[in-house]
Amino acid sequence: MAHVHLEDGAFTIEWVVIWTLIAVALIAIALYRLGGYAIPTRKLAVAAMCVAVGFAIFQIEIPVFGGVHINLTPLIGILVGPSLGSLAVLVINMFGAAIGHGGWGMIGANSIVNIVEVFLGFFIYRHLRCSWNASRFFSAFSATAVALTVSAFVALVIISISGIQGSTQGGEQTFANLLIMAAANIATGLVEAVVTGYIVSFIGKIRSDLLEMAEGEKRPETAETSQEVGTVV
Amino acid sequence: MTFFAEDGKSVVHRMNPWTKAALLAIVILMAIIMDDLILLAVLYLSVLAFYAAGRLPIRLLVGWYTLPVFFVVTIAILLIFTEPGDPLASIEILGKRIAITDAGLMLLVTLLVRALAVVTLSLALFMTTRYSHMAYMVSRILPRPLANIFLLSYRFNFETSDEISDVVDAVHSRNGNMVRGAAKQTRLFAGIFGLSFVHAFERAERIAKAMESRGFSGEFPNVEKLTKPSHYGYLLVSLAILALVIITYSRYVSDLIGWW
Repeated sequence: MAHVHLEDGAFTIEWVVIWTLIAVALIAIALYRLGGYAIPTRKLAVAAMCVAVGFAIFQIEIPVFGGVHINLTPLIGILVGPSLGSLAVLVINMFGAAIGHGGWGMIGANSIVNIVEVFLGFFIYRHLRCSWNASRFFSAFSATAVALTVSAFVALVIISISGIQGSTQGGEQTFANLLIMAAANIATGLVEAVVTGYIVSFIGKIRSDLLEMAEGEKRPETAETSQEVGTVV
Repeated sequence: MTFFAEDGKSVVHRMNPWTKAALLAIVILMAIIMDDLILLAVLYLSVLAFYAAGRLPIRLLVGWYTLPVFFVVTIAILLIFTEPGDPLASIEILGKRIAITDAGLMLLVTLLVRALAVVTLSLALFMTTRYSHMAYMVSRILPRPLANIFLLSYRFNFETSDEISDVVDAVHSRNGNMVRGAAKQTRLFAGIFGLSFVHAFERAERIAKAMESRGFSGEFPNVEKLTKPSHYGYLLVSLAILALVIITYSRYVSDLIGWW
């Protein structure tokens, strides 16, 4: 997994409330930026589709290095932007909680981690494409790799600050113990980064208008750089 | 899940969805607040009995447990060796001896029971509540934009999952699952996922146009409204709240249930 999902009971009630309030504030900002209750129908439908695809893809195992699951949250950020992406990951976490992929009480903490991924995925991709003129593959790969690395540490910090309920270990010791988990997540994140790079190249080749939000007025990619895209299924 | 929710006729299916949702919220709080393993086990067994009363298959539940067990173990496995306590078993790795302690094992088991209690009730709720009732509750609980995304994606999930599994089956039937190197496999699955996203966007655009042409005003109408819980429903929720208050008081103020 490129993500850490915490189950109910991992944190004490105080920390559940704190992380939930922070997540609510982030979602409120996202809703405000989207225009409150007047979100256009197309955006609603696109966000819902991203939720459905993200949720479906997470159930598929890529037969690489013994089997890897991905969530593609940075990709959702690249495609729909940080605000709509934040709403999408919140709903993904709600669906996830329904089947035990993260707890109901942990939706706040898990959403903060995912919002970081969506936010960094979008802005790093945009910066690399618009300022550095980097290729789609490289931009998406780098944006995803950085987003997932940072989010792995955000998850680690959240767990270390909150402490695991029932454990007598302090924050520092918990942080040190869970560093292995962060390292494993970062390694898996690199696989997701490669997949995201290919997906963005693929989308850019056949529907480049879907990347307009992250690329702005960027000119279409040349055929040379698009050759990175492999087999089209 | 939808099949059981729409076709089931058990007592849990007939229970008012608001009552089930309230019980889920209370069980989540109980799982977070309780710290006694025996009480947590009682909570888990009660929830399991509720699930069984819904005539839902246990085998399916065991399958669903894979995810929460995986997540709990991922976190706890790194702590059970370093939790202070009496060593139960030890192994030597690279000249260094590490031991599982009793406190570490207890931590793992407690986290598992907490997670499984909530997951079991969550699944029971979703597998015994019809979509129309779920849609009504979601539209009442969540802010409108989030409720709209939730309700739209609830339906899209089925179509998208079917479409992606069809493409994966097509790949497998053409020997696509044979080992051909990490790069080729990654590129192959990236193509599947990329295509899924493109199809999803195209479908979303069509659906948005269809919704607008039918006069969508930003809110989905609820065809079937939910009634209030029955007296028994209120009684059940009240008893659960009372238990939650006692558990909370006992943990944070004064131990009322430590006698046993």
